[in-house]
Amino acid sequence: MHKKMMFSFPDEVLEHVFSFIQSDKDRNSVSMVCKSWYEIERWCRRKVFVGNCYSVSPRMVIRRFPEFRSIELKGKPHFADFNLVPDGWGGYVFPWIAEMAGAFPWLEEIKLKRMVVTDESLELIAKSFKNFKVLVLSSCEGFSTDGLAAIAASCKNLKELDLRDCEVDDLSGHWLSHFPDTVSLVSLNISCLGSDEVSFSALERLVGRCTNLRTLRLNRAVPLDKIANILRRAPHLVEFGTGTYAADLRPDVYSDLAGAFSSCKELKSLSGFWDLVPAYLPAIYPACSKLTSLNLSYATIQSPDLIKLLSQCPNLQRLLVLDYIEDSGLEALASTCKDLQELRVFPSDPFGAEPNVSLTERGLVAVSSGCPKLQSVLYFCRRMSNEALVTIAKNCPNFTRFRLCIIEPRTADYLTLEPLDVGFGAIVQYCKDLQRLSLSGLLTDRVFEYIGTYAKKLEMLSVAFAGDSDLGLHHVLSGCESLRKLEIRDCPFGDKALLANAAKLDTMRSLWMSSCAVSFGACKLLGQKMPRLNVEVIDERGPPDSRPESCPVDKLYIYRTVAGPRFDMPPFVWTMEDDPSLQLS
Amino acid sequence: MEFQLGLALPTPNIIMGFDLNNHGLDHLKDIGGFSGKSKRSFEQAFGKFKQECKTKTLLLWSGQPNEEEDQKDQKKTTFSTIDENDAEEVDQVVGWPPIKTWRKKMFQQQHRVCRIENNRVAGKDNGRSIYVKVKMEGVAITRKVDLRLYHSYQTLTNSLITVFAKDKKCADDDYTRYILTYQDKEGDWLIAGDIPWQNFIRSVQRLKIVRNWS
Repeated sequence: MHKKMMFSFPDEVLEHVFSFIQSDKDRNSVSMVCKSWYEIERWCRRKVFVGNCYSVSPRMVIRRFPEFRSIELKGKPHFADFNLVPDGWGGYVFPWIAEMAGAFPWLEEIKLKRMVVTDESLELIAKSFKNFKVLVLSSCEGFSTDGLAAIAASCKNLKELDLRDCEVDDLSGHWLSHFPDTVSLVSLNISCLGSDEVSFSALERLVGRCTNLRTLRLNRAVPLDKIANILRRAPHLVEFGTGTYAADLRPDVYSDLAGAFSSCKELKSLSGFWDLVPAYLPAIYPACSKLTSLNLSYATIQSPDLIKLLSQCPNLQRLLVLDYIEDSGLEALASTCKDLQELRVFPSDPFGAEPNVSLTERGLVAVSSGCPKLQSVLYFCRRMSNEALVTIAKNCPNFTRFRLCIIEPRTADYLTLEPLDVGFGAIVQYCKDLQRLSLSGLLTDRVFEYIGTYAKKLEMLSVAFAGDSDLGLHHVLSGCESLRKLEIRDCPFGDKALLANAAKLDTMRSLWMSSCAVSFGACKLLGQKMPRLNVEVIDERGPPDSRPESCPVDKLYIYRTVAGPRFDMPPFVWTMEDDPSLQLS
Repeated sequence: MEFQLGLALPTPNIIMGFDLNNHGLDHLKDIGGFSGKSKRSFEQAFGKFKQECKTKTLLLWSGQPNEEEDQKDQKKTTFSTIDENDAEEVDQVVGWPPIKTWRKKMFQQQHRVCRIENNRVAGKDNGRSIYVKVKMEGVAITRKVDLRLYHSYQTLTNSLITVFAKDKKCADDDYTRYILTYQDKEGDWLIAGDIPWQNFIRSVQRLKIVRNWS
């Protein structure tokens, strides 16, 4: 029998086929089939994703992918969100912009997360990329409205400007007026801006001339009585974030608002609602039946009003809310919103010692039972039981993200006073597709044994105030095959498990350990033996070698890299040296 | 996922049995691969190490609470009640609970507004919140309610009824009546509803829902 040999397509055909492959993972796999596929793929990759900006240098990226149009970069480790990474640690985007500005002016999209972006960087973007279309800055800092003005003025083809949870130096609300008359934004998110002097007329004019506007998220400074005018100018909005949703009750303002919301027939997502006054809530009722996403996490309204609102939203898929919703509200949610996929419940009084609302494990159990499509949960509460967690796990085997934060560290099962090992064990056992998990409460090494045994698809694990010994860490590092990101704080994990599983670190994006028990000596050893890791010791107390080697370091951040050690470190960060004489051949 | 620059497919634990605890490669054979077997051998070695580790623990971590001290140290490592006279809140544990910075700022704003002196909001009365404490007879939880959210007694009582309804697990039957009372600036307890709403919210210090036995 004659077996036909592998055919070879002309490059253009392969390129065309590859153009249908968008996911990074798939693109990476494609590039590793053979040398010619590697070559073809690298010339036609249009979107580059770099999960850790220090894992590779900008020059290397440009060399390998000479024709990309879109780049996504992430900088600081996740725990930077909670102030665990000191200011000045790094994550500067400027070197990337500078390299790209020189290399190719046809860049269209830049998406950054947890990076330091300066006005200088924004001005360079504005100057260098003539066809620039999309700027998404997520949890970034270091820039002001001056930088935004430069972007607005120069990027004539700008389509998306999305500032999510950024710390922006608000110098003036006038940057909005820098947009030229011809600009046609599709998406504008300024919700994080604090300025009280947003020019409303400039905003209205901008919205009016952007006829393709589909996403508009305003900031708190925009008062309630301005919303109707803005909405009327953008009747095709799909996603809308209000400003302050409070005012003295006036019938004319109310009916104006209600009319404006009814005229937006395509609204699917609402957010904002700062200082929400319940009397004005019914104004959004006309839009509720189509809503799939609702972010009420700034609204301090109580459960009864929430229940009334949610009963109008049967198609809700995503809900962000404060714990004012209480168990009763969640029970109502479970019976009304059968399509719910994602739920996030934030604490209204996280630093109070006593509960101020009646939100317990019961609410989450109710939602898990009533919402069969539930996949993603972030839940802050003050008590939990193994029994509840087991029930939740059995109800929702489709969980992909489960993040539970019991507010008081090391809180035991409130019914049995036992650790919550069994409960979280059930979560990893039943939820076979779990990708992200955050633990809390009283936990021993046993929970890590469960995780190592069952959580085979787990990619990200967050641990705090848990475990008894290195065995816990060893279970995770040796068992979790898909683990990419591990972040640990205040756990009694030391050198042994880390050193025994050093090779594992080459297969992960990063490991963060703070207030644990890893010694400086172990860090040095890791740095020496593992040439493809950067082992960063972050210690504001002073140089680690001014203390005995056995002394634990304050914070440790280890990540794999092909770029070698970085050179933009502040004085309180030390990268452990590679030792060429001891490397593996 | 970062792109791979090499052509070889990545394998987890490329270097099987690479245990830096032994500072080198000589012990590859001794350690074996990273299968269940090695886990056992790790634990065997670990058995004696565990004690070692604990001794090291005691020597090194003077800052960390030991098992026995957990109970009393627990109080230290957790956040305290908000000292209501403080202008700023004090986080006893950095970065815990894990709430993003900008969201925390929002809480701090709200709490600054509802800083309570004598149960009544002090400071900003500029149209933003007026928080007062609400206690219901027979219910443990004291709630706080923002009076600015309501424009009449009716809306206030409706909301309070619904909120507290599920709290009272006692044997009250449906015929138990409740009255809303309030403490005014002079410290007197009065039945709510007699004075115009606007005057009421300027004067109320605290609310209490009591059973009406008459």
